[in-house]
Parts: sequence; C-alpha cells; structure tokens
Amino acid sequence: MDSDMEISLDRLPIKRLESIEENGAERFPSDVNYDDKRVSLIRRIDFAWALEEEDDLNSKKKKKKTSKEISEQWQWKGMVENLQLAHQELSVIIDLINTVEANDAVTVAGMTRPKPMPNEILSDLAVSTATKLQSYRHLGKYFKQSAKALEQKVNREARFYGALIRLQRNWKVKRQRVLASNASNEGFTFDLSDGSVYDPASGFRPSTLSTIRVEHDSAGMLAINLPQDSWYSLRFGFVGLNSIDNPNESNAHINSTTGEDLISEKESLSDDESVRETHSLLREVHKSIFAEQLFDMLNREAFSEGVGFSISGIRENFMEMNIGQGASLFVSLYPSGKNASIKKSESANMLIETEPAEGDYRVNKLGFPSRASYEIYLQQIFHEHAFGKTKDQPKSKSNRSSNQTAKDNNSGLLDHFCLSLAHRIFSARVLVQLESVVCKVPYLHLISHPTWNSRTSSWTVLMTVPPSIIPQGSSESQSPDGKRKLKTQFRTKVVVKDDCISIEAECTPNVVGLLKSTSCNLFSMNKYECDLADLPVIILQQVASQIVCWLLEEARTVGTKASRDFLSLSLEIVEGERVSLVGQVNPEDAKGCISWWLVMENGCTEERKGVSESRKSLGHLSLDVLYSVLMDLINLCGSGRNALD
Amino acid sequence: MMMKNKAGGAGGGMSGSGEGAGPTAAAAAAALQKQKALLQRVETDITSVVDNFTQIVNVARVSDLPVKNSQEAYMMEMRASKMVQAADSILKLVSELKQTAIFSGFASLNDHVEQRIAEFDQEADKTNRLLARIGDDASASLKELEAHYYSSAQRLTPDV
Repeated sequence: MDSDMEISLDRLPIKRLESIEENGAERFPSDVNYDDKRVSLIRRIDFAWALEEEDDLNSKKKKKKTSKEISEQWQWKGMVENLQLAHQELSVIIDLINTVEANDAVTVAGMTRPKPMPNEILSDLAVSTATKLQSYRHLGKYFKQSAKALEQKVNREARFYGALIRLQRNWKVKRQRVLASNASNEGFTFDLSDGSVYDPASGFRPSTLSTIRVEHDSAGMLAINLPQDSWYSLRFGFVGLNSIDNPNESNAHINSTTGEDLISEKESLSDDESVRETHSLLREVHKSIFAEQLFDMLNREAFSEGVGFSISGIRENFMEMNIGQGASLFVSLYPSGKNASIKKSESANMLIETEPAEGDYRVNKLGFPSRASYEIYLQQIFHEHAFGKTKDQPKSKSNRSSNQTAKDNNSGLLDHFCLSLAHRIFSARVLVQLESVVCKVPYLHLISHPTWNSRTSSWTVLMTVPPSIIPQGSSESQSPDGKRKLKTQFRTKVVVKDDCISIEAECTPNVVGLLKSTSCNLFSMNKYECDLADLPVIILQQVASQIVCWLLEEARTVGTKASRDFLSLSLEIVEGERVSLVGQVNPEDAKGCISWWLVMENGCTEERKGVSESRKSLGHLSLDVLYSVLMDLINLCGSGRNALD
Repeated sequence: MMMKNKAGGAGGGMSGSGEGAGPTAAAAAAALQKQKALLQRVETDITSVVDNFTQIVNVARVSDLPVKNSQEAYMMEMRASKMVQAADSILKLVSELKQTAIFSGFASLNDHVEQRIAEFDQEADKTNRLLARIGDDASASLKELEAHYYSSAQRLTPDV
C-alpha cells in the first residue's frame, strides 16, 4: 500500500430529498439497513491495485512462452480477453440479478435491450436468410417430386387413353359410372355383343364374355384380364378319325393375364405391340363368342327333326351325330386358353391329328373330306344365317357357293350341313367308281363339272369315236344344208344330288329305244337313276350301247340292213344268216371292262328247227378296230348278197 | 370475356336451333352448361396455381423475426401443397375431357366405322372374286389335267 490514503466523508444521517416530481411529490431515499451499509462501504474500497498486480503476474508468465506461441496466442488474445471481460460482466450481472431477486439493496427500474451491433444484425440476417433458403430448397424438392409424379401420371394416362382410342376404332367401348374410385378400373368395358344377333325370336342369348372390363397393368397401360380357359374354340371332326380333344396350340395364345411371368414381358413391349396384343385377344374372345353362338344353334337344331342326321351322343359342349354313309361326326367347344394344353393332357392317349399325312391319307381313303374345310363351311353358313339377314350381300358369281343355304332347301342349318357332308362322302365314292371304270377303258374320258353346290356333283363320261370314212351320201342323217352330221362324241352325264345318282345319256339300252330304232330316236337323251353298286355296270352298259348305236348308224349309212338288240349289232348277210357283234361288260375286268363277241347265226326257217350259233371272242377292241371289224362285216354282207344275186 | 363470347355464340346457336326438336335444344343447353363448368374449374385451378406461386415468391423477403420466418415456412408448404393439388385437379379435368372425346366423338367414330365397313366390304368382295377366280382356275386346270391324263397311255387304277 504505497498509495496515498484517501478519506471520504459520509453524509449526515439525515433524510435528504432525493427528487421532486413534476406534480410536487417528494422522493426520499429508502432506509438502508446495517448490512446494506456495510456492503456499500465495502464497495467504496478500490481494489484496482489488486487487479493490476494480478495482471502483472499473468503477463510475466506469458513472457516465458516461445515466440511462435506468443505470435499464435497473440492472434486470439484479443478474443480471449473479450471473452473474459464478458464473463466478468456476466458474473456481475448474475450477482446483481440474484441480489435483486433476494430483494437486496438494488431494485431493477427497467430493462432495455442493448442496441444490436451491426455484426449481430448481419448474423441474424444471415441465419434468417439461410433458414429461408433451406425452406425454399425443401420446397423445390417437393415441387420436383410432385412434377415427376404428375409427369408419370400424364404419361400413364396418355398411354392408356391412346390405346383406348386406338382400340375404340375397332371395338365398342362403354363407360360405367363407378362410385368408388378404383385405381385399376376406370369403368370402361369392351362390348363384344352384336345386337343384330341377339334377337329373342332367334333364341340367341348373350355370352358371358360379351362384356370385358378394361384395367390397368403395373405400367399403367391398358390391360385386359381374362381367366384362363374362359374362351372357347369350335372343334369339328369325324368320330374315330379326329381327336375329340385338341391339345394343339393351333390358336394363338395371346392374352394379357396378370401372371408374374407375363408382367415383365409386357413391360418390355411397346405401346403398339401392347395394343396389337390386346386387339388380338379381343379378336380371340370375339371368335369364342361366335363359336358359342354356333354351338348353341346346333344344339337347338339337334332336337328338331332332320333327315340328314341323328344324334348319337350329347354332353356339355359336345355333340355327336350320325350322318349316314357310315360316318359319324362330332362338334365340340374346347377351351383355347393358355392352360388348355395342360388340362387336356389327360386325354392325350386319344388319337391326335395335327394335320399329319397319315391322318389325311386315312381320311382320303375313306372318302371323308377335309375336316378343316368343313369346319370353315359350317362357320360360313352360320355366319350367313346369323348376320346375313341384317346385311344385303351383293349377288355375284363369287357367292355361288354361299347361295346354297338352308333356307333354299327348306331345312335347318344342321340338317343342310350334315346332308352336304354326307353328299361329299357319297360323291367321293361315286367318283371312285367312275374312275375305276374309266381308267380301264382307254377310249373313255372322265370330265368333272364343278357345280359350286355343296349337295350336287356332276361328271361326264366322254367317248370320242373315230371319224367316219364313209363319204357323203344319201342318208337320213343328212342335214338340210347337205352336210352329213357326224357324231363323234358320246356323253354320259352323271349327276349326284345328295345321295341320289341320276344318269343322263343318249343311246340308252332300254326297251323303248329298241322299238323305235330310228336315227333321231336312237340318239335321244334319256335320264334314269341308279344306285352306287350298279353304277359301274350301268356306265359300261351305257357306253357299250353308245358304241353299238354308233356302229349301227355307220352300217345304216352304207345301206346295210342292221339292227340293234341291247348291246348287240346284227347284220344280215344273206337271208337267214346273221352276224352279230355283241358287247359284254364286266366291271371287274382289269383289261378293259368291255369285250366283244362275234356271233354267227344261221336263220331259223320253217323247215329247219333250231338255230345254230357260233361265237368267237374278239376281246377288248379299240374303237378303230371295232370300226374296221364293222367295215369288214359290211363288206362280208355285201359280198354275200352279191353272191346270191 | 371468353366465356361471355362463348355464351353469346351458344345462345345464337340455340336460337338458331330453337325450332328443332326438344332433345336437341336440351342437349345443347346441357353441353353449354357443362362447358361453363369446365371452364370455371380450369380458371379456378389456374388462379389457384398462380396465386399460390405469387405468395410463395412474395414471402422470399427475409424477415427479422425468427417467429415470422417459421410462420412463412409453414405457409410456403401449405401453398405448395395447394399448387400441386390444383395441378392434379387440372390433370383430372384433362382426363375427363379425354373421356368425353372418346365417348362423344360420334361424328369421327361413325365416319371411321363407315370407312372400315367399306374397307371390309371391299375386302370381302375382293376375297370372293379371288375365290371365284381360284375356282375357275382350278376348274380349268382340272379339265386340262383330266384331258391330259385320260389321253395318256398309262392310267393308274384308283384304290377302291
């Protein structure tokens, strides 16, 4: 304590006026108690010297550090000192607050916020700005996510509605007002029914597949979900030749089911391919509805009377019937979904026909027509029956095959179809018989005449005879213009209608023709019927008769007395002596079917009883040889007559 | 203004077709009403988007009070949600318009259907002509082949 001593004088302990307010009120200081007085006295002591000594001690300690540390500490020294000062002031303030709380000598008259420093203002601003920037960034992220989601939604909708608009061009789209919003169902449906067909009078009822819901797949694209095996295909075949159950995947299995194995495939498909697939699927369902309608119609007609068929078996989606000609056919509906082949593996032990050559061979051998062709024909006639009423089909040459409908024949569709099929089988057998005859006789030609009628077939057996070597002369067959009529071709027309064979030809070997054996009647056309078993013999007899007529005409041309008796041509050599050329027909003869005999007859007179006859077989002669034989016989007749003369 | 003009035009149209059948006038009135409703919805949504975005931009000024900043942050989130909601509403409106176009575009649909019918009829005629030609060719070929076959020296015996 080197400093000088200071003496301070207290004021006299009298109450002194502290202040006077404007309104005249006097304020006196509050009474101070002993403790407060003591504290005030303590505070009047100046302890600055102690603080200075302490600072000197601290400075001495700091001088002992290295130069680097001093330089580094010097950089932060100011801040440290400021912090220490701030700490001290805070301690004083805290003590003051505690004292005020304890209600000691000091009372708080008022508190004012200290004026912020510029750096404080800037820091607060920076914090606010950063906070706001963060908020905007968060907002930006939110907008980006929302934009992405909306963009996806737009793309999904664009794909969906684009596909729907494209499909609407070919299919009828309906909208159902759905109350509950369903993400997978917008309420759209495809209506595959045909109002023109669903006529109560016709008896058709709508199929369960007529309405198909439109749904979304995982990619948002339009999708149609149909249960497997929900649509059918029509199957037609012959019992014993074609399998009743078809495990073939001949129909395209295009479906958009929600199986897991298909989802990844669909995602990789483009929109065009997806629309194309959906269109194909709808087409399959449409065909299935058609097949169901067809089968439904067949079922209804099966219970009506028909001459062409008789039902031999019926069960769900299956019908079997006999159509005559030793044939039985079946019509069935089989599921054509993806699992159809799996489900039908149980019946794989049945005969399977997958268009093999062996099956076709068997079919052809039995004379049965192609299964596929008649399956198409059945669908065609049903289509014309069901849809032809509403449309005016133009009459054209190309529709000749479609003109033969059941309405023309006053029979049901099933009846007409079975009769057509039976006719086809029968006509195949007729053709076989005709070919078996024609191929054995060299001078016969078989000409087919397509009638474009499902129940009528026609052929012509053509025979071309050699031209006559006899010059023009007086003959009954001369035409008014002087030229000789040359008959070089003989035709035998065979017409089969259903199972009825009719033959139309000239020079028929009948009794009527014998009685009126003039030229004009000789070549008259006759028409008659026969059955299949007699057809070869009838044809051969007809041909032989035509040959005889031809030879007869030639003989008469030269004035020879000739007559015809069934299949024999008789020439009179001299009175009582006749020579005959007799034809013999044998369908089983592999060498020619028609053979000729030369028969010599000595005439039966009143004096001589009995007819002596000698025969000689000439074998199978060609027409040229026959003609030569005739000429020889004519010469023989002529020489014999001359000899008598 | 646009709606007024349209209303005027629709009114003129209605007056012109007022002499027509009842359902036509009623359908026209219903269509006009629906058009107005759709336009109103569009206007509402667009206004909502614009207003909310404007408010968000206006709030960009930094406020001194931290409490106000918090309030503004909450308001920004709210307005952003409203903007997204308005955008979604517009998209739904577009979907409705697409559906209306699908199910109301009878003229174009009918034209397309008729065009397709004509195409299919042509295709059917073409197919029929083709079938007829094939039949004729087959018939001619059969006749020729039969003539050649039966003119030949060797003929095969068919399996009976």
